[in-house]
Amino acid sequence: MPVIVMASPKGGVGKSTCAVLLASEFARMGADVTVLDCDPNKSLTRWASHGAPSGVILKSDVGRSEIVPTIRSSDGDGKIVIVDLEGVASQLVSRAISQADLVIVPMQPTALDAEIGSEALALVREEEEALGRSIRHAVVLTKTSAAVKSRVQKELEAQLSGAGIDVIQPSLVARAAFSELFAYGGDLTAMMGDPEMVTGGKIDKALANAQAFTEAVYERLK
Amino acid sequence: MSGSNRLAGLKARPKGTTVEEVRRVDEVGEARGFLDRTPRKKPGRKPSPRTHQLHPKVFPTVGQEISAEAERLGITQGQLIEEMWSVYKDKH
Repeated sequence: MPVIVMASPKGGVGKSTCAVLLASEFARMGADVTVLDCDPNKSLTRWASHGAPSGVILKSDVGRSEIVPTIRSSDGDGKIVIVDLEGVASQLVSRAISQADLVIVPMQPTALDAEIGSEALALVREEEEALGRSIRHAVVLTKTSAAVKSRVQKELEAQLSGAGIDVIQPSLVARAAFSELFAYGGDLTAMMGDPEMVTGGKIDKALANAQAFTEAVYERLK
Repeated sequence: MSGSNRLAGLKARPKGTTVEEVRRVDEVGEARGFLDRTPRKKPGRKPSPRTHQLHPKVFPTVGQEISAEAERLGITQGQLIEEMWSVYKDKH
C-alpha cells in the first residue's frame, strides 16, 4: 500500500495538518494508517496524545538512520504510511522522498512559500533522475481563503500548472477546526459530534474540505 | 467516500532500499543543500552516576592533615570523615 510523504523545507506550511487530515480520513475509509512523526516539533505526537482515531498508529522520533527501514517495516497489505517531515532541508527529507508513492508539497499562496517549496519539487525531480524511476508529486495550497481566491493564489496556481506541476484541488482552506485538531486530538467527525469542543469555526465545512482533499489524494494513488 | 474495497485499488510501487541507492539519494540531496542535520551528541564524558561520595573542600593544609591521619590509621579519608561526623552529632 502507498507511502505518502509531506515535504517542504519551510516550516508552518501545513505539512502536519495535511498528514492528520489524510490519516484520519483514510482510517475512516477502513485503512490501517501508520503515521511517522519525523518532525522535532512533534505536532503529530501531540495530536495523538489527545487520542488518535481508530485505525491510526503513530511512530515518533524517526530519524535519518531509521526512516528507510521504518517505512519498509510499516508498509504492508491494507496499510497506508504517512510521513510528516521536519521543515528543514535535511537528508531525512531526501531519504523519505525516495520511499514515497506520492510526495505532497504543501504551500501557502505566498511568493516565499512557493520559492522555498520549489526546492522540494526540484529535489524530487533530481531523485527521480538519480534512481531512474518516477516519484509522483503534487502541490497543495494551504491556509487559503474560504471566501475568495486571491490574485496571488490564482497566479501561483497558473505558474505551477504552467510548469507542469500537479496542483491538488481543492486547496486546504484556513479553518479553525484544522488547528483545533491538535488541541483536541481525534478527527473532525468526532469534533462535530462533541458539543464540548469549541473551534470558533464551521466544522462541517472543514470536514467537507478534508474529505474532498483526501479524495483528490486517493485519485493520485490509484 | 467510504468502504475498504476502494482502498484495495491503491498501489505501492517497488522502491530501492539498498545501501547504494540510499547513498545516491544522499548525494543528490546534499548537492541541493539537504544535509545530514542529525543533532550531534554532546561531546565529552557523561556525568557519573550519583554515588553520594563526599567531596569536601578544605584548606590544603587541613586536607593534608586528614590524608596523613587516615593513612596513619589505615582507613580511607571517608571513613575518617564518618568518625568526625559521629563525634559532631554526639556533640550537638
